[in-house]
Amino acid sequence: MAASGLSAEVDVGQVVLPGDVLLLPAAPNADGERLRLGPSSAPRGRLLCGPGLRRCAAGLLVTKCGLLRHRPPAGAGTGGGAYWVDSQQKRYVPVKGDPIIGIVTAKAGDIFKVDVGGSEQASLSYLAFEGATKRNRPNVQVGDLVYGQFIVANKDMEPEMVCIDSSGRANGMGIIGHEGLLFKVSLGLIRKLLAPNCEIIQELGQLYPFEIVLGMNGRIWDPREVISTPQDWIHQQSGLLHLFVALSPNLGTGAFL
Amino acid sequence: MAAGFKTVEPLEYYRRFLKENCRPDGRELGEFRATTVNIGSITTADGSALVKLGNTTVICGIKAEFAAPPVDATNKGYIVPDVDLPPLCSARFRPGPPGEEAQAVSQFIADVIENSQIIMKEDLCIVNGKLAWVLYCDIICLDYDGNILDACTFALLAALNNVQLPAVAINEETGLAEVNLKQKTPLNIRKYPVATSFAIFDDTLLIVDPTAEEEDLATGTVTIVTDEEGRLCSVHKPGGSPLTGAKLQDCITRAITRHKEVKQLMDKI
Amino acid sequence: MGSEPEPGCALRPFAVEQGLLSRPDGSAAFVQGDTSVLAGVYGPAEVRSSRESPERAALDVLLRPKVGLPGVLERSREQMVRRACEAALLGELHPRSSVTLVLQVVSDAGSLLSCCLNAACLALLDAGLPLRSLFCGVTCALAPDGAVALDPSARQEKEARAVLTFAFESTEKRLLLSTTRGACSAKEVEYVRDVHGTSV
Repeated sequence: MAASGLSAEVDVGQVVLPGDVLLLPAAPNADGERLRLGPSSAPRGRLLCGPGLRRCAAGLLVTKCGLLRHRPPAGAGTGGGAYWVDSQQKRYVPVKGDPIIGIVTAKAGDIFKVDVGGSEQASLSYLAFEGATKRNRPNVQVGDLVYGQFIVANKDMEPEMVCIDSSGRANGMGIIGHEGLLFKVSLGLIRKLLAPNCEIIQELGQLYPFEIVLGMNGRIWDPREVISTPQDWIHQQSGLLHLFVALSPNLGTGAFL
Repeated sequence: MAAGFKTVEPLEYYRRFLKENCRPDGRELGEFRATTVNIGSITTADGSALVKLGNTTVICGIKAEFAAPPVDATNKGYIVPDVDLPPLCSARFRPGPPGEEAQAVSQFIADVIENSQIIMKEDLCIVNGKLAWVLYCDIICLDYDGNILDACTFALLAALNNVQLPAVAINEETGLAEVNLKQKTPLNIRKYPVATSFAIFDDTLLIVDPTAEEEDLATGTVTIVTDEEGRLCSVHKPGGSPLTGAKLQDCITRAITRHKEVKQLMDKI
Repeated sequence: MGSEPEPGCALRPFAVEQGLLSRPDGSAAFVQGDTSVLAGVYGPAEVRSSRESPERAALDVLLRPKVGLPGVLERSREQMVRRACEAALLGELHPRSSVTLVLQVVSDAGSLLSCCLNAACLALLDAGLPLRSLFCGVTCALAPDGAVALDPSARQEKEARAVLTFAFESTEKRLLLSTTRGACSAKEVEYVRDVHGTSV
């Protein structure tokens, strides 16, 4: 472990452990990819501190174990950009704006309770669907799958989700089918699949056309038509899963499960 | 107004006092509460002691009974401590089986007895392989106001000092033990372990003898048990804020001083 | 102390495996010599209203011995592991939730508490819970002649005059947990603590 006083340089893309303090480069433009572990002056420029990092007196404190990532600032800004730790987790923690797949567990008056896999159930108002009014209620039953996004998600309040976007249109959100299969995978795999130009999705698309819904809470929904015989069902499901497993070595450092 | 501030921001209220190097009850950071001890109050027990550390009140009663010595150590007796934190002493304890705190304190007392060799178990043997004393030490807290470990250790020590065991003779013909209640001998106490507890605040400050409120606000605790030769029988720090080596040394020094204070009190009784 | 490790100050070979259990959110197996402990972490998950805290996550530790039911000794160790983990875990980021840590003793051949602490730290790391720092546990046995042996086996522990277990946190190597069995002098404690600090 590097003690304070040693000046080790951590390249973005290296493994960091909880307890490491990262100091930001004194000259924001030069060495934007390198962070120093050691005493340094105050950082300049607007910096975004992403998941796995917390601001502390000396710089950024790493709280999760993983690879350090950096995104340079969008415009020709004077330093900053975003730093975060790419870590692996199975349990989801609600984040505002994340699209997720939830399971409706209860109806309580005007809101539905939705299980999103976090520490608390999220609430979904019946008016948060496209075209829903007080007279025209959406047909949501207990056990249905809904695809929506969080509008309120912080550590102090119960998470709230909606199935419409800011302009009031569904945009793919809402109740997603009554048939199909729900897979639970790790959060890292979902992020890999949602990355632009994901190899798995492209290769899978070349094999046969498919449509899946990915929730940031580690859930994948695969709409399959009702299969007549059990053997066909097993073949179809194991096919998709085997494809995921077979292609996982190409994922690199992010683990599959 | 101070009471309102204390309810809303107890930690800030406390920090104001700590900045002036004192505490809400007027004590210094290294000062203990008034310690009183009363021995022999339970006449039905073979030894007893009541210890008051400020408001914390703990009573220890010792009963001696016969038992067969353990098979793997035929010349040893038993000492069985048990600490009970009943709902009587504080609102935080519920009726029912012993909670985690009571079990942890019981284990701590058992470790202190074992580590400090306060009584040699060989002294409790009456007839090798056949008969030995078993001392049931029941420690009950009557009022919980923090620093339960120090109070229990002191109560146990005072009660053991107070125990008078009757003489036992084995009748040759019947083979039964005959107890002579008129002839009593005290136990041979070899070591005098004394516990000193500290609470850690904000990762840096150490205060001695915390009250229940201070324990709730503290981020960690340390308990040091010393005997009269300055040896450490136990350095008990069950997690909590990390400490540097220098701070631990300060704790050990204060514990040795406290031992002298308690020994003076013990000598008076 | 010299820079070379003295004989007797060597740790037994240790091995770690993370993510070996599929159900818990984080799991780790830690093996030190012949002592082996399996740890599983569930969290942050729903919490009972009696344990709910509006400020931080409620951490529960369950220690299951290899044989028999958990007794007073296990409860005392659970409390120590729980308070050590609470100091390292950033519970303020998950209020009104619970984190459950289950430790199963697979085999006990000495240095059990430090093996439990190591397994607990790695399981929390595997679960992706936010930590202030890492911590690790080391046990040390003081033989009657004063020799210091790190990571003692069961036989060494039985013959020792005193057995000390420490846990250190990773950022500044400060003492997080300390528990001793047997009596020793203050100088010995300081010496052992320094030896532990360097070996960590």
